[in-house]
Amino acid sequence: MKFRLIIDGYRNAYENMAIDEALLFYGKPTIRFYKWRPSAISIGYFQSICEEVNLEECKKQGVDVVRRITGGGAVYHDEHGEITYSFVCPKNMLPEKILDSYKLICSSIAYGLHFLGLEAKHAGINDIVVNNKKISGSAQTRRHENVLQHGTVLLKVDVRKMFSLLKVGEEKISDKAIKNIEERVTSIEKEIGKVKEEEVIEAIKKGFEEGMGIEFHEEGLTKEEIKLAEKLREKYESKEWNFKR
Amino acid sequence: MKVKNGILKGELKVKNGKLIKCTLEIKDGRIKSIKFTGDFFMHPEEKIEELEERLRDIEFDKEKLAKIIFKFFEEVEIIGASREDFVEVIIKAR
Repeated sequence: MKFRLIIDGYRNAYENMAIDEALLFYGKPTIRFYKWRPSAISIGYFQSICEEVNLEECKKQGVDVVRRITGGGAVYHDEHGEITYSFVCPKNMLPEKILDSYKLICSSIAYGLHFLGLEAKHAGINDIVVNNKKISGSAQTRRHENVLQHGTVLLKVDVRKMFSLLKVGEEKISDKAIKNIEERVTSIEKEIGKVKEEEVIEAIKKGFEEGMGIEFHEEGLTKEEIKLAEKLREKYESKEWNFKR
Repeated sequence: MKVKNGILKGELKVKNGKLIKCTLEIKDGRIKSIKFTGDFFMHPEEKIEELEERLRDIEFDKEKLAKIIFKFFEEVEIIGASREDFVEVIIKAR
């Protein structure tokens, strides 16, 4: 299978979500790696922004908030704390069942993380764990006969900051609760020390090459994708979209 | 569970699955408005609004609600929860 590889660096939340949707629309087999600047919270399609996000605190800390096209939970995307990927291809290149395609993509990423020395494996519906602690979460949608799965791989994690931006009950912000979360969530840095971002990308790429037989060629977005993404960015910036639930 | 101004809220954490929340208003024994939120997956996503629309003006009766919800999930895929969970969370809201 031939895939385009886009190593995309920093963009803001609205651009990132607009590009993922534009990629999904055209369905050209692609894996894009990207980062978020400023840091941002993305919430799942079905989540209520007011129930999930401490909007005042986000404003104070300069953190953007965006609703995703995909379901799943709220995620804090730290500017320096994670690598995000999106995986796009026509539906017929993946298993028909959504759960099976999560398994295939997440297992390939987990396999890639092994090259860094991490004992990673796919767990639950959409997670990747190392020593039973979550290191990556993903979400998938299917439109226009194409599939988009995007997800994060944690480079380092600051649970206290994450909790200050998300609405979690007071009892969950207690030191004990934070310790609990710290025991359930991990990052590459926590497991094996600092690793260069390029090395992480290289490892995940290798996971896809060997796990799914993908051949990559580096290439940018097409003119059509850029044009559509510019239009979609307005949606992702709009109150109507972000506050719709 | 009543919150305020007659708005009811229910929450259900699905075992080995996701969280579903439901906010609803009942008037004269019928659902006036209803909204499901949470971290579950539904495909296609925008169908959720159709479900909320179909439940409007329906009598607050478990069997009647279940009939509509089960019919809806014949054509919509849900991941991280079941159709029964959607019925359950409405009942919990009251």
